[in-house]
Amino acid sequence: MSLAQHQLKLVVNQSPEVLERVLRVVRHRGFKIDQLNWQYEDGELILSVSSQRALHLLTNQLAKLVDVKDITELNMMKTSKSA
Amino acid sequence: MRGADLLVSYLKQEGITTVFGYPGGAIMPVYDALYDGGLKHVLCRHEQGAAFSALGYARASGKVGVCIATSGPGATNLITGLADAYMDSVPIVAITGQVTSAVIGTDAFQEMDVLGLSLACTKHSFMVTDKDELANVLQQAFTIAKSGRPGPVLVDIPKDIQLADVETALAISGKDPIAQHDDERLEAAKQLLANAKQPILYVGGGVGMANAVDELQRFVDSTGIPSVTTLKGIGAIPNSKPYALGMLGMHGTKAANLCVHECDLLVVIGARFDDRVTGRLESFASNARVLHIDIDPAEINKLRQSDVSLCGDLKDILPALTTTLSIHEWQQYCRDLKVQYNWNYDAPYRSIYAPKLLNQLSEKLPSNAVVSCDVGQHQMWVAQHMNFTRPENHLSSSGLGTMGFGLPAAIGARHARGRQDPVVVVSGDGSFMMNVQELGTIKREQLNVKIVLIDNQRLGMVRQWQQLFFEERYSETILTDNPDFVTLASAFNIQARTITMQADVAPALDEMINSNGAFLLHVRINEADNVWPLVPPGASNADMMEKV
Repeated sequence: MSLAQHQLKLVVNQSPEVLERVLRVVRHRGFKIDQLNWQYEDGELILSVSSQRALHLLTNQLAKLVDVKDITELNMMKTSKSA
Repeated sequence: MRGADLLVSYLKQEGITTVFGYPGGAIMPVYDALYDGGLKHVLCRHEQGAAFSALGYARASGKVGVCIATSGPGATNLITGLADAYMDSVPIVAITGQVTSAVIGTDAFQEMDVLGLSLACTKHSFMVTDKDELANVLQQAFTIAKSGRPGPVLVDIPKDIQLADVETALAISGKDPIAQHDDERLEAAKQLLANAKQPILYVGGGVGMANAVDELQRFVDSTGIPSVTTLKGIGAIPNSKPYALGMLGMHGTKAANLCVHECDLLVVIGARFDDRVTGRLESFASNARVLHIDIDPAEINKLRQSDVSLCGDLKDILPALTTTLSIHEWQQYCRDLKVQYNWNYDAPYRSIYAPKLLNQLSEKLPSNAVVSCDVGQHQMWVAQHMNFTRPENHLSSSGLGTMGFGLPAAIGARHARGRQDPVVVVSGDGSFMMNVQELGTIKREQLNVKIVLIDNQRLGMVRQWQQLFFEERYSETILTDNPDFVTLASAFNIQARTITMQADVAPALDEMINSNGAFLLHVRINEADNVWPLVPPGASNADMMEKV
């Protein structure tokens, strides 16, 4: 089954725990983080995630976090296989 | 003003009159402020009891429930209650003390990273780091708990901030992130309704949470669409309505499950396709189109793709959809199934048959009674055999399924509701022991709470599954060494009696209902009694087992 990889840009509140909040949701909802770029001062988080699950299942949950102000999907590419 | 005094005065400003909690070192300034602060504080006998009491208070009143605990173990004991409130979308605000700011992160006495623990089980959480932000944080906490899809919010307050002289002015904030629905989608939804020949309403807990029971009933009366409810949706449509088919799902009625299986349009109202509702998802209403209405955008297309979705407040959406339909044949079909598969209370033996007892209890209680149950077989029997006309009268830990919920939730309900509304706990011998210390709260507050303790000397639901799916290997589910529950009750000044025979039921229920103050009715039942029907795990809802 193919894993789809997605790149997301999140605009978040500058709170110390915001990264934990985002990472917890990503893991719990069945996505793996391949790459991450975090600029605390800008409140900007760029995540590359992959999963067999549809992306909206993640973005809808991230959007519910009080500290997440905006989510943009930067690109999407199909990558290889897995289990 | 001290931070602790600000907290108490803010709670009063929010309209809170009663809070539930347990004192300890890091929350002592708050308890000092509570001492003569003009709020009713109920001392529960374990922080989990305080959390469930706040939950019961919120569910029975529609207001925000508040619980208070100290740092470390006090806060960790709240966690199960927060998780329960999260799964069932109940607005509660939990206030926890934290060690002094200067020692956070040094493994101080009774220090625990409560903010970290809260991430998975709250809608949002705060640790107050700036004393002058306390007022704003409290305001945000209540706004978030109540807005959109409600849920629990935790506010962790270091002891030095409770003691500090704090800023009391509030910045104005009022962001209420309610999603929108547009006219085009509303038209599409109306079209789906107009074209349906065999529609079913699948009604969830969202209706009660949105305070939209009246709007739903007008929608049902006007459209005549047959309805089924989830565990949390019970009471949103009374069973007495001709096309109300009862609960669906694993222990749902046969009529409900069969009609959902055959429908051509599933109108999902404040519900989320929980696995206990759907059985095997692929075969759930598999020929139906889906109209999904919910306040939480994340529930739309999460488990089942909808044909049309409306995201927003049910109180606005339901009136906009209200119309008349011509579906007489289908109504008659559903009604016939309801009659055909109606419950049969002819018990084959002289010992007590719990479904019949609960049905008798339901008939004896007024419609304003609150029933708070625990988790297990008795919980499903309450859902099946008791009748409710409002969702806030049926308190049941639904999403999380937390044993130990019933007794403390009833204590919360007792404080939420007026004297004229009876509050009854229905528990099992397993669940009851999980928060049995709350009998101390009943004694202390002299609460008029009636307890029906259904005792099969088993962890009955697990036992049933061991019988059906684990070759009758009854691993750790036999409780023949239970305490003497009547003696236990008497230790807390609670009147009690035991009944064992069917003939004793009616007089004992009358005695309990008419008693002054708390009463525990200990009901011995046959350990082999099972909850039927049952959709086996992984099966379609159309394939219900009805006996061993």
